Amino acid sequence: MKSTEYNYDIVRSFVNWSVLWGLVAVLVGVIVSFQMVDPRLNFPPYLTFGRLRPIHTNAGIYGWGVGVIFATFIYMVQRLCRTPLWSPKLARFQLWFFNATIIASAVTLLMGYTTSKEYHEMEWPIDVMVVILWVVFALNIIMTIIKRREEHMYISLWYMMASLVGVAILYLVNAAAVPVSLFKSYSAFAGTNDANVHWWFGHNAVAMALTAPPLAMFYYFLPKSTGVPIYSHRLSIIAFWSLLFMYLWTGAHHLLWTPVPDWIQTLAMGFSVMLIAPSWGSVINGYLSMNGQWHQMRENYLVKYLILGITFYGLQTIQGPMQAIRTFSAFIHYTDWVPAHIHMGTMGWVSMICFASIYYLVPRIYGKKLFSIPLANLQFWLILVGQLTWSFSLWIAGVLQAGMWTAMNPDGSLTYTFMETMVEMYPYWWIRSIGGLIYFVGVVVFIYNLVMTVRHGEIASTEAAAEGRA
Amino acid sequence: MDLASILYLGVTFGLFVIFVLIVLRTYSKKRKDEGEIAKYRMLDDE
Repeated sequence: MKSTEYNYDIVRSFVNWSVLWGLVAVLVGVIVSFQMVDPRLNFPPYLTFGRLRPIHTNAGIYGWGVGVIFATFIYMVQRLCRTPLWSPKLARFQLWFFNATIIASAVTLLMGYTTSKEYHEMEWPIDVMVVILWVVFALNIIMTIIKRREEHMYISLWYMMASLVGVAILYLVNAAAVPVSLFKSYSAFAGTNDANVHWWFGHNAVAMALTAPPLAMFYYFLPKSTGVPIYSHRLSIIAFWSLLFMYLWTGAHHLLWTPVPDWIQTLAMGFSVMLIAPSWGSVINGYLSMNGQWHQMRENYLVKYLILGITFYGLQTIQGPMQAIRTFSAFIHYTDWVPAHIHMGTMGWVSMICFASIYYLVPRIYGKKLFSIPLANLQFWLILVGQLTWSFSLWIAGVLQAGMWTAMNPDGSLTYTFMETMVEMYPYWWIRSIGGLIYFVGVVVFIYNLVMTVRHGEIASTEAAAEGRA
Repeated sequence: MDLASILYLGVTFGLFVIFVLIVLRTYSKKRKDEGEIAKYRMLDDE
């Protein structure tokens, strides 16, 4: 099939918009981090930490993350199925509906309309928009797969389909609510059940939106970047099915030491530890795919992003299960350790893979050589240093916080007041903000490189433009 | 253990059995070569 028959217009649009929302997510993240070190930077009622924080998380997950998912899935499905997109018109509708949903979310969250469910804060009218959006997207991808001209289904397609089905089920169940007005609803579940359903959603949203799609991208863009196939397709299939089998039971590890039944907590803990195996199945497959190709870590900037990305996935999937063990959870839960864990996943694993995917895509979909490979390398180091600064500062802060919270005097009274523990956090919060700023500069460099590529990049054939060697 | 717990664990065990069957099929000797074709085909989608 000729490249010209594939639809790249819509991929370009999704890349552009997802990058914009990514910038917003990181910028708002930096702002809220400074609001924590200097509360005077809160400007009620709209620009307070409470209203901006969900905008940071939702812009990051749904604007940046899901935007890149839309772009890469539409690109990959055409290539892997050797057939054009089923409906470009539907994809164009999806693009504008996506942006309308993100804007509606930002506006309503700023106005204070929230369900108060973390990562699912948007009220019911926006839930309806999200469902329409996902159905349109899923229909287009699945129909393209159905009419494929390639008999063999590569692992990325499996991860894509899992994401499409998984997100739909999770979102629909957790969004079940009784509306009482245009912007107010009450959850269909009550008490402990509500918490259990919500964290079943919360943790599996990580699986289906922030694990399966980046793995689909990793398995596609790593071999395309190195020019050699992955180590084992069969291992990738086993890792895929075991990931799906194990992930769905783990949500309750967010609710250890709560009124959720003990056996559910134990099941979640056990499955969380078992989850190390499928996660590392993909990590090891990635590393073994580099056999004889490790020199590309020096020569090919895309490989650097992808291998560091999968390395952070590996670290994340060791740290996560450890946190799901009751005794360790009792120590670090509710401390600053937890956001450090999440940000290693989002800034390290997911975003590294997203940056690599976009760097791979842009020269091909615009038919131009990347403006500057040194700038891409500079960005790599900025986001790596920014993310490590961010995470290490809060890991140390979290351990300190936990230690102070649990310290007791000989008579059984607490050694420290809550305010004393807060005061100790300030140096770490400053370092976190600096880490975030470094990361933000990296994102600005990324966007500058992309804009210059599109506007002033040297015109080349898509194949020649795709040379990713530094 | 109540009926709901037994059902919950029963579903878990049922899925585990399906997973084991997938592993056996994927790593069967008959499908050794076929299972790896896709990784070569994807490189040639330019």
